[in-house]
Amino acid sequence: MKLKINGVERQVAADWQNENLLTVLREHFGLTGSRFSCGIGQCGACLVHVDGIPMTSCLIPVSEVVDKDVLTIEGLAAEDGTLHPLQQAWVDERVPQCGYCQSGQIMQALALLQNTPQPDDADIDRAMSGNLCRCGTYTRIRKSIKKAALVMKEAG
Amino acid sequence: MVQLTRRNFLIATGWVAGGVTVLYTLRNRAVAVAPTIIIPNKESGAAWVQIRSDGSCLMYFTRVEMGQNANTGLAQIVAEELNIELEDIEAVQPSTSDIAPIAVTAGSMSLTAFSRPTAMAAATLRESMRALAAVKLGEPLSMILDDAGGFQTADKRKVSYADLVDKDSVMVEFDDTKPSPALYTFDPQRSKKQVGRDATPIGIRGLVTGAAVYTADVPMQGVLYGRAIKPPVRSARIASLDTSGVAETSGFVELVRQGEFVGVVCKTPSALDAAMSKINVTWDLKIPINQDEIDRLIDVDAEMADGDLEHVLQDEAHRKDADWLIDLRFDVQTQSHAAQEPRAAIARFGDGSGAHKLEIWTGSQDPWGMKRFAAMDTGLSEDDVVVYAKRLGGGFGGREHYEVERDAVILARAVKRPVKVQWTRKDEFTASRCRPASAHRLRIATDDAGNLSDWWYGYITGHVVFSRERLPGWLLPVARLAGDMGVVKGALAPYSAPHQRVEYKDVDLPIDLGVWRSLNGAPAIFAIESAMDELAVQQGMDPVDFKIAQMKGKQPRLQVCLERVREMSGRRSLPHGSGYGRGFACGIFDDRSFVAVSADIHVDEIAQEIKVLHMCCVQDVGMAVNPDQLRAQAEGNMAWSVGMALLERFEVADDEIKSSNYDNYAIVRMSDMPSVDVEVVDQPSIPPAGAGEVALVAGPPAIANAIRNATGFRALRLPIAFADISS
Ligand code: FES
Ligand code: FES
Repeated sequence: MKLKINGVERQVAADWQNENLLTVLREHFGLTGSRFSCGIGQCGACLVHVDGIPMTSCLIPVSEVVDKDVLTIEGLAAEDGTLHPLQQAWVDERVPQCGYCQSGQIMQALALLQNTPQPDDADIDRAMSGNLCRCGTYTRIRKSIKKAALVMKEAG
Repeated sequence: MVQLTRRNFLIATGWVAGGVTVLYTLRNRAVAVAPTIIIPNKESGAAWVQIRSDGSCLMYFTRVEMGQNANTGLAQIVAEELNIELEDIEAVQPSTSDIAPIAVTAGSMSLTAFSRPTAMAAATLRESMRALAAVKLGEPLSMILDDAGGFQTADKRKVSYADLVDKDSVMVEFDDTKPSPALYTFDPQRSKKQVGRDATPIGIRGLVTGAAVYTADVPMQGVLYGRAIKPPVRSARIASLDTSGVAETSGFVELVRQGEFVGVVCKTPSALDAAMSKINVTWDLKIPINQDEIDRLIDVDAEMADGDLEHVLQDEAHRKDADWLIDLRFDVQTQSHAAQEPRAAIARFGDGSGAHKLEIWTGSQDPWGMKRFAAMDTGLSEDDVVVYAKRLGGGFGGREHYEVERDAVILARAVKRPVKVQWTRKDEFTASRCRPASAHRLRIATDDAGNLSDWWYGYITGHVVFSRERLPGWLLPVARLAGDMGVVKGALAPYSAPHQRVEYKDVDLPIDLGVWRSLNGAPAIFAIESAMDELAVQQGMDPVDFKIAQMKGKQPRLQVCLERVREMSGRRSLPHGSGYGRGFACGIFDDRSFVAVSADIHVDEIAQEIKVLHMCCVQDVGMAVNPDQLRAQAEGNMAWSVGMALLERFEVADDEIKSSNYDNYAIVRMSDMPSVDVEVVDQPSIPPAGAGEVALVAGPPAIANAIRNATGFRALRLPIAFADISS
């Protein structure tokens, strides 16, 4: 059983083949940037992209993503460490408080900008309302998404 | 003044040789940092700041990080005192073996209690370095002037910290009984470089790349997965237990039963879920768990009809039979912390080769408390236990008890392997110790001129603070400092009347209760600010003018907040049409933090919903060490205000906690969140006070008052539903 995570092909050992994708990412491959919070697809802390589609990895059996492309928060920055414009906007606007939800927020925002490069407030509400942040960083998330959208537009 | 000594302590605590360390010892119990669990002795003083032989600065975080970013503020203070940049500081979260015990991180006390000792430690280090510079440059001490990262003379001969530190370890001893060196941080005349600026929180990069390490992220060779069953309340006892089939689960390792503790260890998380689901348990409850029972226990009217409430906070020429213009009862719901990270702990018993017999990784607000409890629990000596404090994915008062740590310790000991325990979301809702429901009766009368003449406020709430049954004696003094007054927070209004009485009673409720953001502050101030608004409206007065007038010249800082929030909110006009309204509220937290909030709302008849459109918040917590982080806390508190006013509804029924996940306990999401403007009033000459929970006291009543403004409906019960208004 293999899948591609952040561009690297990985083999899932036999002991881990009955787990969900989140568990395999975290416990088997040590990619702990995707977090467990609700376990039922209600909060978005575990959000990753599977073949470009944002999905809550706590709900996906790993057997369902065999041979697929998985993108996690760890795969977002460039190899030289340059942050993705979304991550940079998150730093510039000082979004995170406790930070626990933020990997999922950024991955959801990435999906939003891929579909809607210049989102308005209603687009952001629609796309981001499944990602909970108990610390309440929403106003800064909104600002950062718009900022990153501008940066990405200018960069073409 | 400053003595340089060498001490074995450096080596004993693992400090690398070479460098200058400040040992800040507390001999005087009365200083601000008194919440330390054990007063450090001479040898175990808290070594918080070090200049290493390459001139770089190492700082131990004295606070547990959970999003409040207090450590960044403290690092700004260190940078200010040492004339260095924030980037020059390497910040490390210490284990319980690295430094002497430090108090629980709670009650928004971090900057209040730690800013001065931190400044003293860093300033002491600076002055001892200055003494070394004087020797090196052959000049008298008075000729050695500050320079970035070191010192210089008037003729520009420079020496950096790196030039001054040799390979030997030097320890500067300083304690709070010695005179303090000049503290740049607290000099209002000084134009500051670090303190007062919007510094970016330390460690933020890890939070946007996923690299930040919370407890469950700690890599651990050979770790197993464990969990224990959680009773609906801690007083429950197991009535029947059926574990048949558990041991047959594939991946099963061990079932552990120890009195009321029942836990399972498995090889993978899914195996653990499967094994746990096979446990059938029923509970013996002392009291039925349901909302009617809670309502009965907090029935303030029944109790006040029977006579006085148990505790009296204020009693001045009280008249029972005044001509009450306001006579309203307000009910505030139970609420859960619902932090995004379900708590976790990893425990590992050593094979005897390491320095410690038991290692615990946990995101607790009280690492030293965890160490102490784990030692008591296992019979190990405290020296044999080390706790590695990890970042918390949200605290809000809910992470102070030895619980998930105990689960991990018991299970790890049983299987002789490291065990990771992470509570399920349902465990979190069941066992996080809620903010209690409360009921408030407020009566107000005025004199002929319309000023307050009589004030009578009585309320009943569940216990808020660590109660004696739940807390061992040694932690009580700490608990008291952190918030013993939890139940009375917010109860004394900033308004005064010649005849006034405030009384309350705190009771045991059938669910587990504890510390939750603002404690009783938000519930009490919701009642007070709603009642004052109602009185103003009924008298045809402007609520802001009326409130300021009724402060009767007192509380100047609160008055400024209110005036400014009115002005701020006025910059944006309310949309025309029906259902729009604006409300105001203000409050004081812990006597030192002041806030005023406005809310613009829309009661939308078509969508059948109440929407908060915009909120303004003006906050004065004294010196603004990092204004941006004060704004961040205020923004978060506005989100919590919307949740408390409109959304969060903790459900108990049929002897169970029904709220179990985010699908049946709504918290604020992006689409609920209003836009927010925050203004911070900086007071450079007033030491910083808490900012983590102050704005939450004024947000919910501002929303309720806005609904009154829009519709005429006075909310007497939280959370407010659209259906309440139409009925
Ligand atoms: S943990 Fe997967 S959606 Fe909440
Ligand atoms: S930053 Fe704490 S949950 Fe979002």
